[in-house]
Amino acid sequence: MSGAAAIEADTRHAAARPLIARLTGALLRAFPVILVCIAWQIAPTVGLINPDALPPLSSVVTAWWGLLIDGSLVSNGLTSLWEVVAGLGLSIVVGVGSGVLMAWYAPVEAIVSPLMKSLYPMPKSALIPVMILWFGLGPSSKIASIFAGCLLPVVLSSYNGARGVDHTLIWSALGLGASRRRVLWEVVIPSALPEIMAGIRNALAISFILMVAAEFLVGQHGLGYLISFLGDGGVYDAMFAGVLTVSAFGFFADRVYLLFMQRMLRWRE
Amino acid sequence: MAGVSEPGSREAYLTALRVASGIAFFAAWQLTAMSHVFSDFLLPSVPVVFERLWHDLISGDLLYGIVLTLIRTFVGFVLAAVGGIALGVSIARIQLVRWFFDPLVSVGLPMPKIAFLPIFMLWFGVFDTSKVLMVAFSSIFPVIVEAWAGTQNIDKYMTWSAMSLGVDRHRFLWEIALPAALPQVFTGLQVALPIALIVDIVCEMQMGGEGMGGSIMTDMRFADSPGVFAYIIAIAIVGMVLVKAMEIVRRRLLVWHQETQTA
Amino acid sequence: MAGISFREVRHTYRPPRGKPVLALEGVSLDVKDREFLALLGPSGCGKSTLLYLLGGFIPVESGAITVGGKPVAGPSPERGIVFQHFALFPWKTVRQNILYGLEKQGMPKPEREKRTQEFVELVHLKGFEDSYPSQLSGGMRQRVAIARTLAVEPEILLMDEPFGALDAQTRALMHEELLAIMRRAPKTVVFVTHDVREAVYLADRVAVMSARPGRVKEIVDTKFKSNARGEELLQTREFADKVDHLWKLVRDEAIRAQGTRE
Repeated sequence: MSGAAAIEADTRHAAARPLIARLTGALLRAFPVILVCIAWQIAPTVGLINPDALPPLSSVVTAWWGLLIDGSLVSNGLTSLWEVVAGLGLSIVVGVGSGVLMAWYAPVEAIVSPLMKSLYPMPKSALIPVMILWFGLGPSSKIASIFAGCLLPVVLSSYNGARGVDHTLIWSALGLGASRRRVLWEVVIPSALPEIMAGIRNALAISFILMVAAEFLVGQHGLGYLISFLGDGGVYDAMFAGVLTVSAFGFFADRVYLLFMQRMLRWRE
Repeated sequence: MAGVSEPGSREAYLTALRVASGIAFFAAWQLTAMSHVFSDFLLPSVPVVFERLWHDLISGDLLYGIVLTLIRTFVGFVLAAVGGIALGVSIARIQLVRWFFDPLVSVGLPMPKIAFLPIFMLWFGVFDTSKVLMVAFSSIFPVIVEAWAGTQNIDKYMTWSAMSLGVDRHRFLWEIALPAALPQVFTGLQVALPIALIVDIVCEMQMGGEGMGGSIMTDMRFADSPGVFAYIIAIAIVGMVLVKAMEIVRRRLLVWHQETQTA
Repeated sequence: MAGISFREVRHTYRPPRGKPVLALEGVSLDVKDREFLALLGPSGCGKSTLLYLLGGFIPVESGAITVGGKPVAGPSPERGIVFQHFALFPWKTVRQNILYGLEKQGMPKPEREKRTQEFVELVHLKGFEDSYPSQLSGGMRQRVAIARTLAVEPEILLMDEPFGALDAQTRALMHEELLAIMRRAPKTVVFVTHDVREAVYLADRVAVMSARPGRVKEIVDTKFKSNARGEELLQTREFADKVDHLWKLVRDEAIRAQGTRE
């Protein structure tokens, strides 16, 4: 199985053990991260690394706290969150619908599928300038960029998931008297769900990348803009705090989604 | 459909379909542009964009930009490939390395590594070094993950056969483990290359200068929409060529592999 | 001298997650030199584990396994092994797979090329020397695996349900090929299977193993008095009786094994 799937399997196994074992396990696993944090604190403090280039962890934490209190973290965070939710949400609605329909209705597939496969290797971030031309400097261009970038992975995984449904399942349902419409909703989509959800997880990661990239380039608000602004202003400890916040944001979004996915796919072995 | 079952004609059929859908796409674009639902600025017509593309091609600007972008992408990619494979294989085979890097990799994988761009700019300046390192940093993760999994999941019985036939411990890695892991390692590389291109373009867009990313941002700032569209098409073509190239390399390198045989 | 001796071999299987399980409980058994012994038993009875211990792939924790008087201390070309799923090196051609063991032995080039060609012909794969395993059928792959193992001329041949992944017709053909090879160059063979007829047909003696934790339940002599071969032999009364006898022994253990399936 792929590396990412192996890591996912490990996460699943870990979730099954009793709480104390899980906590100790988690602590042991986190130890290298803790080591890195300790190194981060000591090295700049004793001058091993230039503290202007890498502020010690303590001042980054302090700066982070400052950003939190003065509200800039929250307000920019909400803007970024909104962009991701809107862009990703739209791509899921349109993408899953298109992908499944393409798999189900052959004429649609013949036209759209080759185009889709050709466009897939297109670097999604290149669409950002067009979106800016079309939607201006505000959040709309970011949402449009995220939508455009996430659409294809979602469509593709929905299409592959729906196409890969075991024919015998479909035939059994039809044989039991279900209409084609019902089969689509009650057999095809649930069977395709694992692959669709995996595609959405992928799109989630892409949405974060596009959100940050777009906000860096032309931002007026949002976490990417905040980081850029702090960097331009030379406030490096706050800049690091911002970077860590966005990274943590991306990490937790993935973890939360993973839990959600595992719940939805409980029936899978 | 008659004759589609033979591999040669099937390939031809698929290619024809691709070309047809490409033409349909550009036709739809042109029709929309001509209907003037959107202004010429928002959606320039196809001939205007292609004329621009041609103009940049002849003047040499386009090729120069492509070459620069590709060089940065490749250097970063090679760094990620070498480092990622070395690290992935070490994680699979050495307990201590695994203990240290496992959490770092799991945490790092879902993070938007592009967020670190300002840090890289702070440390390495606004020229090629920071771009290349940013590319390497972003694309190393999938390589590590696949190299790790590929080395870890080698068939136990094949390993035992090799041991029974007399392989010694030191040669085992090169003679057995790496060839066996190659399919999965190469998959990691195939995932990493498009990432490398995307990240490089974003870096160029952010830092400016020459290269496709810088050019497209310049055109955007000058509200030169045919230029922006022209560069998107150029970037899309470069992306497609890279992916296709990797597929061809895979087929030759892994000619022995199950998938290649059944394709 | 390649007589094998198992003395009170015990083995506990320790999975990375979960409780340890006693796989083998005090197995004692002697295999004579040049004898074809089958290990027969239901799934999970530990017969493959016993084979892997003999091969030196798993360390012996309790008890002793000796070959020609010397204890087993790790894998060696003297105890060649053939696995159910072939375990060929997929990136090497047929020829390169067979060459591998010979290269490890440091055999000089002309000699090993010659030896490889001999064994390619022995298993009737002439013309396929430069094919990759993925281009071959299951039966052909298993023949490559056998050729690869035999090329290094082991004294003992270990076979772990080698024909289990093949269809019935191919399996029957492979039985004949294996017997032909053994007639040309007899070796000590330890053959693991759960197929009673296969065990009776191929082996000189069959050791029936109990359900987990495995021990040797009974050893049955399966040398045939009749001179019939192949199809003829399968039709004789003698064959049917022996199969019947062994099937009764195995059936109880198979039922017991079903009950303890986790």
